[in-house]
Amino acid sequence: MTDLIYLDAEHGPRPISATIDGPRVLLDAASVTELTGWTLKPEGLCQDDVCVPVRDPQLAVDGAIDVARFAVALNRPAVVDASAGVVALGERSAERRGPIESGLAPDFTLPQLDGGSFTFSSIGRRKKLLLAWSSW
Amino acid sequence: MSFDDSIATATEWFDASDPRPTFPMLLDRELLLAELYGIYNVPSVVWIDEDDRIARPPVIAPGDDMFRDFTSIDSSVHHTQLRDWVKTGALPAPTGREQIMLPTDDEQLARLERRVGAFLARDGRPVEAERHFERAVQLAPMDWTIRRGSLPLRGDDPFGEKFFAFMGEWAEAGQPGYGSADPNAPR
Repeated sequence: MTDLIYLDAEHGPRPISATIDGPRVLLDAASVTELTGWTLKPEGLCQDDVCVPVRDPQLAVDGAIDVARFAVALNRPAVVDASAGVVALGERSAERRGPIESGLAPDFTLPQLDGGSFTFSSIGRRKKLLLAWSSW
Repeated sequence: MSFDDSIATATEWFDASDPRPTFPMLLDRELLLAELYGIYNVPSVVWIDEDDRIARPPVIAPGDDMFRDFTSIDSSVHHTQLRDWVKTGALPAPTGREQIMLPTDDEQLARLERRVGAFLARDGRPVEAERHFERAVQLAPMDWTIRRGSLPLRGDDPFGEKFFAFMGEWAEAGQPGYGSADPNAPR
């Protein structure tokens, strides 16, 4: 097992243990469930009451899951850089388009400049202005 | 909410404000809100009503007229629109220039490549980072949050030669993602 870094949009870098097999990165099934919420079952990859059939015989190797093939099975973007020791999994574009098209403001939690974190929904029933800016 | 890479960088700008803002000031170094709300450039504003519905999708709205020669946007237009909405609930009439941008597969992958590049750059591995930044720009060449926003992490000046080359390409492409709050601003 090798120590890698796992990245997603809503958390900071998280250290994980993985097996590197050439360009392939394999995570144990429990880690995949912990990181993504998806579990490999006989009927496929499952989350809550949704199961996606898996037809890829190479997805799992000796109980470990190939991250890149996992992403393909769920149609999610992934960046696997085994040589740099980094794995990143993203959300499907359809997942991100849905709230924008429906007009419902997605909730989020981000760090505050003054310390701590802030959850958008904590503002409650008020009009809100979200201003995105940058020094660049 | 700042798309800067560090609390120190963003705080420097807030501390320079007089009076200092009293609203929540957040840092989004991973561009989460760009992904959630379809934000491709700054400064962008999103209006959200009491029921958490997006009353106005992202539009470009500078806070003042410091860069008006460049943007041709009168900042007072958005200020007036915002006051009207807060007081009366009235939304501005559509200008026909709104650009609701929906994330594509390539853009989602670009954000991921940029995220990996940013991690590696912060970790002091610029060579490994660079191949991810390059891939991100190939996938989303007109996204300012990725292309210009990555310049400091790549050791480049966000006001330098690479930025102006990008700006030329972007203008040539019709300024995608730059729907303005000011109906009189040229496209």
